[in-house]
Amino acid sequence: MHELYLAESILNIVQEYATLQHFSKVNSILLSFGRLSCIESKSLQFAFEVQAKNTSAENASLDFQILPAIIHCFSCEKDLEVETYSAICPKCGGEEVILTGGTEELQILEMDVD
Amino acid sequence: MKVSVVKNVLDANDRIAADNRELFDRNKVYVINLMSSPGAGKTSLVERTIMALRNKYKIGVIEGDIQDTYDADRIAKLNIPVVQINTGGACHIDGNMIREALPTFDLSKTDLLIVENVGNLVCPAEFKIGENVKIMLLSTPEGADKPAKYPLMFQESAALLINKIDLIPYVDFDLKKAKRDALSLHKDLKIFEVSCKTAAGLDAWTSWLTKRIDAFKK
Ligand SMILES: Nc1nc2c(ncn2[C@@H]2O[C@H](COP(=O)(O)OP(=O)(O)O)[C@@H](O)[C@H]2O)c(=O)[nH]1
Ligand SMILES: [Mg+2]
Ligand SMILES: [Zn+2]
Repeated sequence: MHELYLAESILNIVQEYATLQHFSKVNSILLSFGRLSCIESKSLQFAFEVQAKNTSAENASLDFQILPAIIHCFSCEKDLEVETYSAICPKCGGEEVILTGGTEELQILEMDVD
Repeated sequence: MKVSVVKNVLDANDRIAADNRELFDRNKVYVINLMSSPGAGKTSLVERTIMALRNKYKIGVIEGDIQDTYDADRIAKLNIPVVQINTGGACHIDGNMIREALPTFDLSKTDLLIVENVGNLVCPAEFKIGENVKIMLLSTPEGADKPAKYPLMFQESAALLINKIDLIPYVDFDLKKAKRDALSLHKDLKIFEVSCKTAAGLDAWTSWLTKRIDAFKK
């Protein structure tokens, strides 16, 4: 649902940069977010396609750099990449873990423009 | 040609939230952003909190919950200024919706503004509104897997109220797991076990809140 809002925000930022840096066509936009941050890249892509019509970003592709979910376990003193989060270390079963990566918010990293 | 940007997509919202925050600071208004799934007990908690603190603070409420159109009426019955935000079907409240709702309140005469966010565990955590604290409510019938499934919400909240604790004998809720997972996401998270039905545990919540508000107002 919030993908609509996010798509609109991306387009506003693109528009700002287009005015400042005088480009007229956006070919692709590179975005990043943490894999646990509940962003649906498919819905975002769709929302973006719809809203980008008749703008400089029409037909631009969205590329995603999805940052891994990482936990740190205090028992085995290791950082581990996990698919889904649970406060138990998948290696040693230890319960003293913290989430150190994976909830990063959506960012625009760069654009390819003409 | 490549153009480097590196900018949060929600940057524009963050700026509006910061403007709201400035306005709240100037008027010494403490703002709570209350988040949970639909039906977890947000409106019930708002009612309970009003009853407990209304003699001490001037309270205002912004209702954003779209699940239940009676929420604003429930608050208005208590003679508390309340605005129902029309989120237009959106899954969250954003900074601008709050900004537009503010003229209804006399901020100079408001101590505490409670914002009941839209019932949703996914989106609201990403949208700042200018709050002092995010408070999260999790009710026992929802299950203990929520912290693991929606980590951001728990990371962003200052306190977690585990509500409907009176239903523990009837629902399959692993209290220990919920607390452990939540604390591993946010080690300073303050956890309260409460029931908005029986009022159990609510004194601890309101005294924690009172301390925070008083420290802010000083
Ligand atoms: N058993 C029980 N029911 C509760 C409790 N808190 C709220 N409820 C009920 O849960 C339902 C949803 O509550 P409400 O406050 O409207 O939730 P909201 O959608 O998050 O605002 C209502 O029927 C409340 O009476 C509680 O602590 N225990
Ligand atoms: Mg409600
Ligand atoms: Zn381990």
